[in-house]
Amino acid sequence: MSGGSYSTEESYSFCPGCGHARIVAYLEEALRGFGASPEDVVVVTDIGCVGLADRYFATNAFHGLHGRSITYATGLKLANPRLTVVVVMGDGGTGIGAAHLLAAARRNIGITVVVANNFNYGMTGGQHSTTSPEGALTSTTPRGNLETPLDLLGTLRPARPSFLARGTVFDDGMGSLILRALRTDGFSLIDIWDNCVAYYARRNQLTRKTIHAFMEEMGMPGGVIYEGDRAEYTQAWREQYGVPNHLSSVPVDGVSSAVDLTDTESADLNLADADIEGSALEVKVGIVIAGSAGQKIRSAATILGGGAIASGLWATQKNDYPITVRTGPSAAEVVLSPHHINYTGIEDPDVILVLSEDGLSYLGRRLSSLSEHCTVYVEEGLAGQIPTGPRIIPLPFESTAKTNNRSALAAVGIGAVLAGEGLYPVEAAVEAAREIQKESIARVTAKSLDAGALLISGMG
Amino acid sequence: MAAVDAGCDFFAGYPITPATSILHGMMNELPGRGGVVIQGEDEISSIGMCIGAVAAGRRAMTASSGPGMSLYSENIGLAIMGEMPLVIVNVQRQGPATGSATKGADGDVQFMRWGTSGGFPMIVLSPENVRDCYLLTFCAFRWAERFRCPVIVASQKEVGLTREVFDLEEARESRGPEVVRRKAPADGAYLPHDFVHHADVGPLSPMGGSHVVRFTTSMHDKRGWLTKDPEEIQDMMEHLSRKVTDCAEEMVVVDEDLQEGAETLVVVYGVTARAARDAVDLARERGGLVSLLVVKCLYPVPEARLRRAMAETRRVVCPEMNQGQYVHEISRLARGRKVIPVNKMNTELISPGEILKRISADLFQVDEVSGTGPGSGSGGGARTGSGCDRDGL
Repeated sequence: MSGGSYSTEESYSFCPGCGHARIVAYLEEALRGFGASPEDVVVVTDIGCVGLADRYFATNAFHGLHGRSITYATGLKLANPRLTVVVVMGDGGTGIGAAHLLAAARRNIGITVVVANNFNYGMTGGQHSTTSPEGALTSTTPRGNLETPLDLLGTLRPARPSFLARGTVFDDGMGSLILRALRTDGFSLIDIWDNCVAYYARRNQLTRKTIHAFMEEMGMPGGVIYEGDRAEYTQAWREQYGVPNHLSSVPVDGVSSAVDLTDTESADLNLADADIEGSALEVKVGIVIAGSAGQKIRSAATILGGGAIASGLWATQKNDYPITVRTGPSAAEVVLSPHHINYTGIEDPDVILVLSEDGLSYLGRRLSSLSEHCTVYVEEGLAGQIPTGPRIIPLPFESTAKTNNRSALAAVGIGAVLAGEGLYPVEAAVEAAREIQKESIARVTAKSLDAGALLISGMG
Repeated sequence: MAAVDAGCDFFAGYPITPATSILHGMMNELPGRGGVVIQGEDEISSIGMCIGAVAAGRRAMTASSGPGMSLYSENIGLAIMGEMPLVIVNVQRQGPATGSATKGADGDVQFMRWGTSGGFPMIVLSPENVRDCYLLTFCAFRWAERFRCPVIVASQKEVGLTREVFDLEEARESRGPEVVRRKAPADGAYLPHDFVHHADVGPLSPMGGSHVVRFTTSMHDKRGWLTKDPEEIQDMMEHLSRKVTDCAEEMVVVDEDLQEGAETLVVVYGVTARAARDAVDLARERGGLVSLLVVKCLYPVPEARLRRAMAETRRVVCPEMNQGQYVHEISRLARGRKVIPVNKMNTELISPGEILKRISADLFQVDEVSGTGPGSGSGGGARTGSGCDRDGL
């Protein structure tokens, strides 16, 4: 590439003497050295004075929201790993966008970040920033800054990104330092100490002559601070997912990668063709299953619904469970109907299956307002706790499940409900289990459903 | 599935109940198809990555719930400003703030409409069931490309986490025209924000493609260069609004079930439409005359259709799972008709009975259960009497 082809040749609008102009020139020099075509380079700028920099680059330019430049750059790189993505941001952006900066370094995403670090918010009148030193005089710290400054490189280094370097706008060789960063595959960041002539440098006597002593005083020396050897994120991602290159490369023509509709294999139920006797159910039935987490309540409810579908019914299922696993209650509400189901709520349950104490406490108030037409199938030891009103059928679910497989307790309950209520043939639920579950689990479910059904027929 | 069928090949999201299942689903679906899925460090980065990916030529979607929508807010403005097609799924949950994190509500309706600074039109679609989730998400991708703007699918927990019978092939046949990304010709200059008439929407050209492309959050001209010229700015403002508002008629998605002579109209959306359908059926069974209008594209408001449906009626019943939001759109169109809000935000669904009560107090009465009792004994007879069949009455 010929010199100057990365520049729009616009005259700078920075304050006279501001280091931002130097940073723009260093980056142009580096891009010239790197040589990627301007169509394949994106300069992403943050907000702040240095955010004006995008207009000086004849490359793609993305000027986004304050602090979020890293996120756009990450999206660009993930979408098209072939792009050279450079972020130009100020110290303000490293504060408001600190989480993104850390995440990008941890991912080691292949973007280059140039920080114009001038220790204050110049665009808004010289307020203190995350990098303002202790004691710094700014418009919001008129008596001296009380906060410890962020050591940008020291903070990012434990994340082991590919390249971290520091320098000042007055240093020779900043262009070649940025070029080294561009040539690094993974995440690279150059922290360039900059002079805000309007505010910070003036109030705090920061000059070309004092800036290096200032670095020393801060314990943050110039040069390449860290080079890591981790794989770049988009490369690692493609390798991990085995994404073929022709798919992961850019949709250059603006058309997204081809999507093959023929392999939209669905883990969901497809029981339409199963040879199952139809259900004779004539009305909508609401069933509440309440037990404990770990009792496979949700899976059993899915089997109940799946069997209904296999026998020609409509079904809906909603679950309720705590955010923790294997503790506390777990419940599911299943509605079955010979007609399309609109309303999925169950105010007045027709069937309740209670499998544990947790289930009882989950049902709580609801238990005392059950109507006569409701049938409660309940673990026999808990039957005494159901207020009178509904028909109560105590059954030994737990001991039955124990002889079969404890984890299939809920399936035993479902088997009993199916047999007791005549909702549809138990075989349909067995068929649903075969469709949904792994073979070994489906076998246990089938035995449990049958064992549950036998509890009812055994009652004679 | 709809997103995949619509050519979505980029998804970034942050875990949040009840939207996480979409993140998991995309994790399963996209990588094998050449798509990219990433869990962002927060919702801001998730939507930011999506916007970056769209700039590089991808079709992107993100999904969250109320708290995440709050964090999306500023970047929704960026997508509007930069004319970026983007699909945002909001699986609403009860709240403000963290609310009842695992329970449903439709509390974000006006927030989705007015959820970013500057006051620009939004397109918001509202599914009532799984089939709608497919059809409207597909539609969201089509309109995101058509209008080059963010489009929101306003689901909620009671829709997004309910399992039900659904015929995917039927939905695929019913989904309408394919999603097309209009791309700028490779030769010649490219204006990222080109228009002649304000409602025109120009094609996209990806960064990394044939043109050098400029994108900015600031007020810009058609080339994407910052401008301070009041005339140019007003011109751009008209463009960003009118490309949506002038085409509102294209975005009417309603399900009308009007009954001749009905003095009452029920206007409803989302999961509550399911209860309203039952309520209307019950009212009619009992001899009532009542019309139903289910709104599936909430914004732009289908004003002409609403006016027409209301024309012969005297009362409009508006049930919604919030403290009263879409009812404001109805009220401004109702012209003296009685508008009756039915609101509940206690995490429970609004029942058919609660709606029926407001359709007509006369029609609301509990009938005795008819039919036989539940079957008993082994493999007993089929049920014919049911409590669920009379739910909420």
